[in-house]
Amino acid sequence: MHERALMTDLMREIEAVAAADGATRVTRVSVRLGALSHFTPEHFREHFVDASHGTLAEGADVEAVLADDLDDPRAAGVVLESIEVEA
Amino acid sequence: MTKRTIVTDYLARVEGEGAMTVKLDGDRVEHVELRIFEPPRFFEAFLRGRSFTEPPDITARICGICPVAYQTSAVNAIERLCGVEVPEPIRLLRRLLYCGEWIESHALHVYMLHAPDFLGYDSAIELARDAPAAVERGLALKRTGNDVMTLVGGREIHPINVRVGGFYCVPTRRELRALVEPLERAREAALETVRWTAGFDFPERVVDCDLVALTQPDEYAIERGRIRSSSGLDLAPAEYDEHFEEIHVERSNALQSQLRGGGTYLCGPLARYSLASGELSPLAREAAAEAGLGEECRDAFRSIVVRSVELVHACDESLRIIDAYDAPERPAEPVEPVAGTGYGVSEAPRGLLYHRYRLDADGTILDAKIVPPTSQNQLAIEDDLRDVVARNTRLDDDALRALCEQTIRNYDPCISCATHFLDLEVERR
Repeated sequence: MHERALMTDLMREIEAVAAADGATRVTRVSVRLGALSHFTPEHFREHFVDASHGTLAEGADVEAVLADDLDDPRAAGVVLESIEVEA
Repeated sequence: MTKRTIVTDYLARVEGEGAMTVKLDGDRVEHVELRIFEPPRFFEAFLRGRSFTEPPDITARICGICPVAYQTSAVNAIERLCGVEVPEPIRLLRRLLYCGEWIESHALHVYMLHAPDFLGYDSAIELARDAPAAVERGLALKRTGNDVMTLVGGREIHPINVRVGGFYCVPTRRELRALVEPLERAREAALETVRWTAGFDFPERVVDCDLVALTQPDEYAIERGRIRSSSGLDLAPAEYDEHFEEIHVERSNALQSQLRGGGTYLCGPLARYSLASGELSPLAREAAAEAGLGEECRDAFRSIVVRSVELVHACDESLRIIDAYDAPERPAEPVEPVAGTGYGVSEAPRGLLYHRYRLDADGTILDAKIVPPTSQNQLAIEDDLRDVVARNTRLDDDALRALCEQTIRNYDPCISCATHFLDLEVERR
């Protein structure tokens, strides 16, 4: 459920960035999962499929890398590094 | 078709552990749903296999605001099972420690979380800019509560001095006397708090569900009592499970409690006050009357006034205990484990807190159940939100969000600080 809150925030940002760019579809999403984010890449992909349903990012490829630095100030979050879009 | 890569480096994080969805069809409310994202914490599972002496320290970690409540319900359950009744000086010291927790918790909620709602500020920080004296008064109250917890409990957050059978060490009379002057100042501040909050503008909102709280003859129940309800229940702690049940709904990680067979109930300050206002200290009763409160109060928005009245009572009660204090002969009674099931309750600042432990003959915990007040109040909060939304469908989303946040904070749930960032989705058709 903690993950759901993260996904909600993440999807909001993806949609905002895509809309600002005039995108019609998001084709790829690259994220870095913090060491304390409660995610594994597989787990994240499952959540992403659910959270992106009905959005511009539905069906997008997901590149998720798990960080291992517990001292990183962003360790509890998920960093959205980039998205690829179609205009 | 053009493809582009957009670099964002955006950090997604949890800004609030609560979210709410409202679906409206014109002015008609189709659906209201409050979701709590707080991750499961598995404390009941942690307790299995541990010694019967460990729950006061383990369960205190459940909450940084009300650890004494967890410690008290835990020792109540285990001591009752093991046939130990602590001597009166020990019980009163526990009550004093608990009063310290009520003071710090209520001061935090009244001043830092709830009052800004009524005065049109987004936070206590903003409030402090225009009303520094009020915020300083709240901080001073909270500090006094923390001081009580530090002296009796060993430290202000997650105290370490409570044990099954009593305490690890107890203060001298001289040490306790050092709290008198700060508590007298805190009592004055609490009285001022009642006058301050009673002057707020209150939307009308009557809670019509069953009210549930502990009661105890001749005292305002805090660390012990029988479970009573406005509909007539009068139960020993061991009868709790026969009358209340927890259900799980997919949208929330917090289990939700209801009366067996269905039925919403509310615990916390409104319930305590409505069932036992006559047991408040004379000064607290006088303050309540001057604030316009009757013998019972079912007005959710006026819970801030009731909480302020309880601040007066907690200060008064602390001073009474200190004045009469005689240090116990020894800090703790010996407790030998007994196989069976023990039940313990107490009144956390937010309401009834129930613990149940099953032990084997050598004192190993086989099973534990903990029911905090927030999960008991969640259905009542949702009912209230449904009603508030139905009455205010013409508000724009921002105004509706602010009103929903305030409504949630009326109940001081453990998610109340998180819900300053309530994620509200409104679907209008």
